Amino acid sequence: MNLLAISINHRTAPVELREALFLKEDEARSFIKLAKENLLKEGLILSTCNRTEIFGVPAGSELSHQKIQELLLRFKPAQNITEEHFQKYLSRDAVKHLFSVATGIDSLLVGDNQVFKQVKDSFQISEETDFAGYLMRRIFDSAIRAGKRAISETKISDGAVTVSYAAVQLTEKIFYNLSKKTALIIGAGETGEIAAKHLVGKGIGKLAVTNRTHEKAEKLAEELRAKVVSFSDFKEAIFNYDIIISATSSPEILISKDDVKKAIKKRNNQPFILMDIAVPRDIDPESKRLDYVFYHDLDSLNVIVEQNLTKRKAEIPKVEKIIEEELNNFWEWYNSLRAAPAIKDLRDLFEKIRNEEVGKNKNKFSSDDQEKLEIVTKRIINKILHHPTTELRKNDNESGSSEATTKIGIIRDLFGLGSKKDSDKE
Amino acid sequence: MISAIHSINILLPFFYLLTLVVYFYDFIKGEKKLINIKRVFLFITLFLHLVYIVLRTVTFDHPPITNVFEIFTILAITISFSYFLVELVSDIRGTGPFIIVLSLIFQLISSLFIQDLVQVKDVLRSNLLGIHVISALLGYSGFTISAVYGFLYLVLYKDIKLNKFGLIFNRLPNLEVLERLSLYSALIGFIALTIGIVIGIIWLPMAFPKFSFLDPKLIGTGLVWLLYGIGITSKVVGQWRGKRLVLLSISGFVVAIISTILSNFLAQSFHSFY
Repeated sequence: MNLLAISINHRTAPVELREALFLKEDEARSFIKLAKENLLKEGLILSTCNRTEIFGVPAGSELSHQKIQELLLRFKPAQNITEEHFQKYLSRDAVKHLFSVATGIDSLLVGDNQVFKQVKDSFQISEETDFAGYLMRRIFDSAIRAGKRAISETKISDGAVTVSYAAVQLTEKIFYNLSKKTALIIGAGETGEIAAKHLVGKGIGKLAVTNRTHEKAEKLAEELRAKVVSFSDFKEAIFNYDIIISATSSPEILISKDDVKKAIKKRNNQPFILMDIAVPRDIDPESKRLDYVFYHDLDSLNVIVEQNLTKRKAEIPKVEKIIEEELNNFWEWYNSLRAAPAIKDLRDLFEKIRNEEVGKNKNKFSSDDQEKLEIVTKRIINKILHHPTTELRKNDNESGSSEATTKIGIIRDLFGLGSKKDSDKE
Repeated sequence: MISAIHSINILLPFFYLLTLVVYFYDFIKGEKKLINIKRVFLFITLFLHLVYIVLRTVTFDHPPITNVFEIFTILAITISFSYFLVELVSDIRGTGPFIIVLSLIFQLISSLFIQDLVQVKDVLRSNLLGIHVISALLGYSGFTISAVYGFLYLVLYKDIKLNKFGLIFNRLPNLEVLERLSLYSALIGFIALTIGIVIGIIWLPMAFPKFSFLDPKLIGTGLVWLLYGIGITSKVVGQWRGKRLVLLSISGFVVAIISTILSNFLAQSFHSFY
C-alpha cells in the first residue's frame, strides 16, 4: 500500500517547533488544497498542540516522504526544523501509527481521549475538502473502531491525569452529589479556569469566581454562568462554599489556618475541601490538621496523577493487542482488493445465482432444452462479466495502485462480496 | 433430615468463606465482569442458609432463636441479606468483604457450637418471644452494618487526609455515602430494637417471675439504645455529623458486643438461656 505519513510530535520536537508547524483549521484546509494540487490524491492532516501529522497517498507512482515534508515547510516556513524532527511511516506502519494516535497510547498524557476527537475532526475536514478517498475512509473507520475499543475494553483513559482534574475527582471521593454543592475558584488564570470547567462538567450546584483583577473574574464567571465574589471580601465568604480551589500567583498565603478555623465553625463542621493548586501555595498547609478539612496541594494531587498514569501505562499492552487485531482486519480487507480473488468471488456469485435460478426453473423445459438452458445462461454470465474481468485484470498489473484498489473495493461493496474474513463469518 | 442439617451446618462457613474470597478478589482487582459473579455466590450462600433455617425450624419444632448459637446463625444471614439488598438497591461496590466477614465469623461460631435442641422451655415457644427476638436481632444487625460502614468511613477519612490514595481510596464509595449508609443502618437498627424492647417490657414480666429491670442484659441493651438514640437525635437536629457520628455508631456497637458477652456468658441473668 502506498500510504505515507510524516509526524512531528512531542517525542521528536520541542514545543516551540511543534507550535511553528501547528496548522489551524483554515490552514489545514489550505494545505490540503495545496497538497492535492501538487502531491497527494487523498489523505488526512492531524494538527494538535502535541503533533502535526500528514497521512497521504501520492498522486503519482513516486513514494517520497521528503516531498511531503518540503511541501509542509514551504506552506509553513519554520526555523531550526531538521530532518530528525520528523518521524516517517510507510504502508502498514503508517496505518498502525494512526491507530496508536487514535487510541491515545502515543499521546504525551497516555490515554488522553481528546486526541480521539481530534482525529475525528481531522477526518471531517478531509471529507469536506474531498481529500478522503476510498482507502482513507476505510483506514479512518478502523482507527475509530480501535479508539472506541481501547476506551471501552481497557482502562487506558481511566482516572485523572491532570492536577486540575485530579482535584475535582478527589472532591467526588468526599461528596456524593456535586449538584448540591457550592464551589469558589480563587484565581481566574488558566489553571483556575480549567478546574472551574471540570467542576461545571461534573455538574457543580453553584460556582463562584474571585480574582485580584475583577474584570478577569467577571469574564470567566460570564462564560461559566458563575457568580463573582469581590477579591477584597472573599475570605469572609469562604464558609459559604463546600469546595475552594485556589490557583493564584500570589507570593503570600491568602487563606490562613485561622480563616479556615473560623469558616469550619460557621459551617457547623460540614466537610470543607481546600484544593491549593497554586505555586507558591495560597492556603496555609497547616489547615489540613483541622477536623473536617480536606486540604490538598499540588504535591498530594500529583500523587493521584502519577498513580493514574502508571495504571494507564500498564494498559498499553492491551491496547496494542486491539491495534494489532484492527490492523489485521484492515489488512485482510486490503488484501481482498487484489484482482484475482475479487474476480473469483464475483464469478462465484454469478454462478451461484445462475445455478439457483436454473435449478428452480429447469423442470419447465424439456430434457433436450435443459441442456441448452445451461449453455445459454452460462454464455450470458460470461458476456456480462467479460468487460469487468478484463478491466480488473488490466488494473492488477498496476497492483497496489489506488485506482485499482478503489475499483475492486467498489465492486466488492456493490455486489456484497465482502473480504475473506467477512465471508468466513457468514 | 437431621443429617442434611448437620451437612449444611458444616458447609455454611465454607460457603461464606468462598463468597468472602470472591468479594475480596473483586475488591483487589475491581474488574467489572466480577460484579454479577460475586452476587451469584452470595445469593447461593443465602439460599442455602435459608434452607438450613427452615429445616431446623421444622425438624426441631422451634425457630432457631432460643440460644446464643442459634441466634448467631440468624445474625449471619440477616447481616449478609441486608448487605445483599443494599448492594442491589444502591449498586455500591467495595464494601462487601467487610460485611460478609462478620457473617462468616458469626456462622463459624454457630456451626462449631450449635446443638440439636428438640426440647426447649415452654416460655421460649411464645409468639411474642419470636417477635421480640427477631426485632432485637434486626436491630443488632443494623448496628453491626452501621458500625462497619462507620469504620470504613474513618479509614477512608484518614486516607484522604493523609494523601493515601491506595486500594481503600479507589474501591470504597465516597465519604458522604458511607456516612449515609452508616446512619440509615443505625436508624433501621434503632427502630427494630425499640420494637424489641417495647415487646420485651410487655412480655418479660409475664413470662419470667424473676424479672428485674436491673438485669445486666436489660441495662446493656438500654445503654446501647440510649447511645444510638442520642446519635440519631443529634444528627436529626443537625448538631453531629461525619466523624463524630460514626464514632458514636462504632461505640454503640462495641457496647452492644460487651453487653451481650457479659450478660450471656458471665453474669447471672434470667434472660440467658444457654
